[in-house]
Amino acid sequence: MTALNTTQHNRVRRPRLSTPVLSRFGAGLSYLVLIFLTVFGLLPVVVMIATSFKPADQIFRLPATLLPSSPTLTNYVNVFTSSDMPRAIGNSVLAALLTALITILLGGTAGYAIARIRFRGTGPISIGLLLGQLLPVTVLLLPLFKLVSSMGVLDTIPGVVITHLTIVLPLVTWMATSTVRSVPVELEEAAMIDGCTRLRAVRTVVLPVAAPGIVALGIFSFLQSWNEFVFASVVSRSMSSRTAPVALTDFAGQFQVDWGATMAAATVISLPITIVFLLVQRYFIQGMSAGAVKG
Amino acid sequence: MAVLTVAPLVTVLVGGISTQGWDRLQLLAANPAFKDLLTNTVIWVVAGTVGSLAFGTAGALALQHRLVKAKGAWRAILLIPWITPTVVAATAWKWFYSRDYGVLNSLLMSAGIIDEPVGWLTDTRIALLAVVLVHVWATFSFVMLMISAALQTIPQELYEAAKVDGAGPVRTFRSIVLPSIADIAFIVTLIVTVWTLNSFLPVWVMTGGGPAGATNILPVQLYQYFLQGDEGAIHVLATIQLLITIGIAAFYVQRTRRDPQR
Repeated sequence: MTALNTTQHNRVRRPRLSTPVLSRFGAGLSYLVLIFLTVFGLLPVVVMIATSFKPADQIFRLPATLLPSSPTLTNYVNVFTSSDMPRAIGNSVLAALLTALITILLGGTAGYAIARIRFRGTGPISIGLLLGQLLPVTVLLLPLFKLVSSMGVLDTIPGVVITHLTIVLPLVTWMATSTVRSVPVELEEAAMIDGCTRLRAVRTVVLPVAAPGIVALGIFSFLQSWNEFVFASVVSRSMSSRTAPVALTDFAGQFQVDWGATMAAATVISLPITIVFLLVQRYFIQGMSAGAVKG
Repeated sequence: MAVLTVAPLVTVLVGGISTQGWDRLQLLAANPAFKDLLTNTVIWVVAGTVGSLAFGTAGALALQHRLVKAKGAWRAILLIPWITPTVVAATAWKWFYSRDYGVLNSLLMSAGIIDEPVGWLTDTRIALLAVVLVHVWATFSFVMLMISAALQTIPQELYEAAKVDGAGPVRTFRSIVLPSIADIAFIVTLIVTVWTLNSFLPVWVMTGGGPAGATNILPVQLYQYFLQGDEGAIHVLATIQLLITIGIAAFYVQRTRRDPQR
C-alpha cells in the first residue's frame, strides 16, 4: 500500500468526517515546514545547477549571485571533451550494471530461499542480513582491500564490483525476501499441483508477479554502486577503473578548483539518476515501508 | 557473503584485541588530539541523529496534515537530497559554503542577517556544525519516509474515537500518535545513529577533517590511517568503531526479541 494511495482513498471515502489530525500543527504550519524543508533540500542543488551554467568570469564575481546572468554550456563542453569524466562515467555504468545483475541473481535466489523454504536458521540469517547493513565501511576497508589485491583484481572493474557487492548484496537479499513474500504462496502451490516443478512455478508464476519489485531492487543496486565512493577510491588506482564519484573529487581536489566544470560534472553524475529514481520512487517507498512496518 | 563480511571482521578484531593493539591504543590515547577526535565524534553523532530525526519527523507530520495538498509532489521533492550521491552533495555544499564566493554568505549578507562573510568550513568553532547540517540534509528524507509510513498505519477511527471522547490535539498526539509510531521511531533512530557514526563522505569531501582537526571524526581518521598505511592504528580504531556498532546492534536484537509480537 503506497502512502499516496491510502491518503487519497481516505479523502475520497470520507470527505468531511475526519478530524484535523494534528490540528496543533495546522495546515499553515504544515506548509511552512514543507516550504522550509524544500528550500533547505533544494538550495544546494539549485546552486550546483546554476553554477554549472555560469561562464568562468561570473563564478568568482562579487557579490556572488545565485543565477547566471548569461548562461553558457562551456563547462559541460569542457567536462566532456577535456576531462577524464566520460571515461569515469563509462566505468561507473559498467560497474553498476555488473553489481545490479549479480545482486539480482544471487540476492533474488537467496531471498526466495529465505522466504519460501523452511530450513534451520532463517530467522538469524535475516537479522544478520539486516545487521550487515550497519557495518562501518571504513572498518571493512583494509581487510577488503587486502582481499581484492590478493585476488589480483586491484584497479579493475571486477575489483570495484566485488567491494560493492559487500554493501549491496545483504540488504537486497533482505529486501528480496519481502518481495517474494508479497507474492501469494497459493499461486505457486496451484502451479505445482498442476504438475509444475518448483523451478517452473517460480519462472512462470512468481517472476511475472514480482517483476516490478525485482526491477526496483535492480535499480536500487545500480544506484548504490553508482554512488559508492570509499571502496572505489581505494580499489581504483588509475583511470582504467576509476568511477565517477572518485573522479569528481579529483576535480574538486585540485589546488585551483574550476568550480564551473566541477558543478557541471556533478550535475551530469546526479541529474539523470535523480530523475529515474523519482519516476520509480513509489516502488521503493512501498517495499521499504512494508519491511519497516512489519519489523 | 560470509567471506566478504565476516572474514574481514575477524581480521580486524584479532588485530585490535591483542597486546599489540592495547599498546597501540595507549600510545594513541596519549595524544591530546585523540580526545578531540572522540569529542568530535560524539558531537557529530548526537547532533547529526537528533537533527535528522527532528527534520524528518517535522516533514512527516506536515505531510500527514489532511489539508495539505499535492502530497505526492512534496514527498518527491523532499526525496531529492536522499537520492543525490553524497559526493555530489558534499561538493555542492562545499561551494555553497565558500567564504568568499559562496551563495550562502551573499544571501545572508543581503538579507542583513550577517555583516561580514562567515568561514563556514574554515572557522574551527562552526565547521563541525556546518558539516553536521550536510549530513542532516542527506538523511532526513529517509526518516520522513519511515515516520510517514508509520503515521499512515493509524486507523482513522482512532482519531474519531479520541475526538468523541473529547481529547484535544495534544492528548491525541500523546495517546494515539506517539504509541503508534514508537516502534518504527525506535528502529529509525538506531539506523540513523549507526549511519551517522559511519558517515564519512561529507566530512572527507568538505574539510578532510580540518581546520586543525576541528571536524575530525572516527571514520575520517580511519581513512587517513588507511592512506598512510598504518595498519596498527587502523586495527585499534576499527575495533573501537566496531564495538560501538555491535553494542547498538545488540540493543536492537534484544529489543526485537523481547517483543512477543515479532
